[in-house]
Amino acid sequence: MARRFLRQKFGSPGLVAALGVLALIGTLGLARRGANGFSIANWAIFVLAAGSVSRDVSSGALQMILSRPIRRTQYLFGRYVGILVAFALFLAFTSLLAFVVVHLGAPGAAAEVSPARLARLAGETFLSGAFPAAILLFFSTFLPGIADLLGLLILYIVLRLPAASGSALARAAEAARENILPDVSWSEAWTGRGAALAAAGRWVFALTVYLALATVVFSRRELPYGND
Amino acid sequence: MISVQGVSKTYGRFGGRVQALDGVALEVARGETLGLIGPNGAGKTTLLSCLLGFLRPDRGTITVDGRAPDDLAVRARTGYLPERLGFDRELPGRAFLAFHWRLAGGARDRTKSEVEAAAERVGLEREALSRPLRGYSRGMLQRIGLAQALLGDPTILFLDEPASGTDPRGVSIVRERILEAKSRGATIVLNSHQLAEVEKVCDRVVFLESGRVAKTETLRGESPTRRRGLLRVPAVRLAEAAAALSGEAFTPRTQPDGSMKFVVGSDEDMARAIRAVALAGVPIYEARTSAELEELFSAAAGE
Repeated sequence: MARRFLRQKFGSPGLVAALGVLALIGTLGLARRGANGFSIANWAIFVLAAGSVSRDVSSGALQMILSRPIRRTQYLFGRYVGILVAFALFLAFTSLLAFVVVHLGAPGAAAEVSPARLARLAGETFLSGAFPAAILLFFSTFLPGIADLLGLLILYIVLRLPAASGSALARAAEAARENILPDVSWSEAWTGRGAALAAAGRWVFALTVYLALATVVFSRRELPYGND
Repeated sequence: MISVQGVSKTYGRFGGRVQALDGVALEVARGETLGLIGPNGAGKTTLLSCLLGFLRPDRGTITVDGRAPDDLAVRARTGYLPERLGFDRELPGRAFLAFHWRLAGGARDRTKSEVEAAAERVGLEREALSRPLRGYSRGMLQRIGLAQALLGDPTILFLDEPASGTDPRGVSIVRERILEAKSRGATIVLNSHQLAEVEKVCDRVVFLESGRVAKTETLRGESPTRRRGLLRVPAVRLAEAAAALSGEAFTPRTQPDGSMKFVVGSDEDMARAIRAVALAGVPIYEARTSAELEELFSAAAGE
C-alpha cells in the first residue's frame, strides 16, 4: 500500500516538479540563511499528504481496493506510512542536493551543512512534518478533495487567533493549542530538556489521537460511488 | 448465494433526502448471472455499492453466502469493476494489475505471468502495460479495469457498466470474459444499459425503478418468463403470416417492415410458429427468439 502511494506521488509530473522546486528553494535557503532556510522543506508534507484518502475515494480507486480482502485500517496506515516514506525520501534528496550545492558553490556556508548537521536538520523536519501529515490524513478521511488542507488551516487559525488577541480566552486557547497542536523544539528534546520532553510527550499523544480518530472515522465511513 | 432482504437506502440530510433504494428484495443463486437494468437514477449503482459493503442500508439485510458483504472471506472471492474509471492515473498498467493481484492474495512469484495473462485476456497489448493509466483511452481503461476484476478468478463478480465506452471488439471481449467466468461457476451481478449484451449473458434480469424492483424476468433455465419470437416476412404477405400465427394461438404484433413479435414459451413453440407460417406458403426472411429487453425496459418505465 505504501509502495502504491510512492508510485502515485512520484509518478505525477506536476507533483515531482513541485517537490523539485521546494528542494531547490530549501537548498538555496540553506546556503544563504543557514538552518532557518531549510524550513521551506516542511511544505513538502502538505504537497504529499493533501487529499491522500479523499482522492482515492473520488477516483474510485479506494472502492476497487476495498473490494479486495484488505481492512480499511491496513489501507489507512499504508497511506500514512507512504506519506512518511515519501517525505523522508524528499528530505534525503534535499539534504544531498544542499550538501552538493553548498560544498561546490558556497564553501563559506559549508560548516552549516556538514553531513551530521544536515542529518539532524532533516530528522527534525521529518518529525515536524509527521504531525500535520496525521491531521491531514484524519481530515482526508471525511473531507472531499484537498479540503483537508483547509481544515488544517482553520484548525491552526482557530487555535492561534485567540492566543494572539490577548483576550480572556487566550489562556484556554493556548492550553488547548499546546495539546492539540503541540510545538516541539526537537533540537532541545534531543538534549533531554524537561519542557521540550513534555512537549514531545504531548506531541506523541496528539499524533496517536489523530491517527486513532482517522481510523474510527474511516472505518465507519460510507463510500458512495457512481451515478445512481 | 447473495441475499438482499428489504433493503432501503436514503441519501442526503434534512430537506434534500433522496430515497435511492426502497425495500429491495432479491436473491442471486450461486453460479447465476443477474442483470440489473433500469433508467438512470433507478438505484442500480447504489444497490451494487450495498452489495459490496461500501454503503450500509438504512433498513434490511444483505448477505453473501451467509456472511456480511464486507467480510474479508467474501472479498477474497470477489472481483469488482466500477462504473467510473478515474483510478490510479499515475500508475503504469503493469503496476496497477500487479498491485491488485497481490491484494487479491496472489503469489508474488506469479505476479508477472498473471498480469500479462490478464492483460492478454482483455486484448491489451503488452506495450500498453508500461504506460501510465492517464494515457489510456476510455476503452483501454475499461479493459484493464475488467482485467483487474478478473484477477485470481473470483467466484463473485460485480460489474458496473463493463462495456461502457468500448469499441465493438471490446464489447465482445467483455461478453466472452463474462461467459468464461460464468462457465467456471462464478456468480455475477451485472449492471448495464446495453440491453442486447445483458440478454446475451444473463440468466435473469431485475428491473429497478425509483429504487424498487419493478419486475423480474427469467431469460434462461427451466422456465424462462420472458421470451419473444420474431419472424420477418415480406411486408405484402404480413396479413397472411399473422393469420397463420393466430391460427396456432399466437398473438402477433405486426410491424410495417414485415416483422411480427409474439410470446413463445419454448423452442417447440417457436418451431410451431415457423412451421405454421411456412405451411401458409409465406417466405420467412428471418426467425429468432429474444427476450426483447428493450420492450421490457420501455414498458416498465412507462414509455
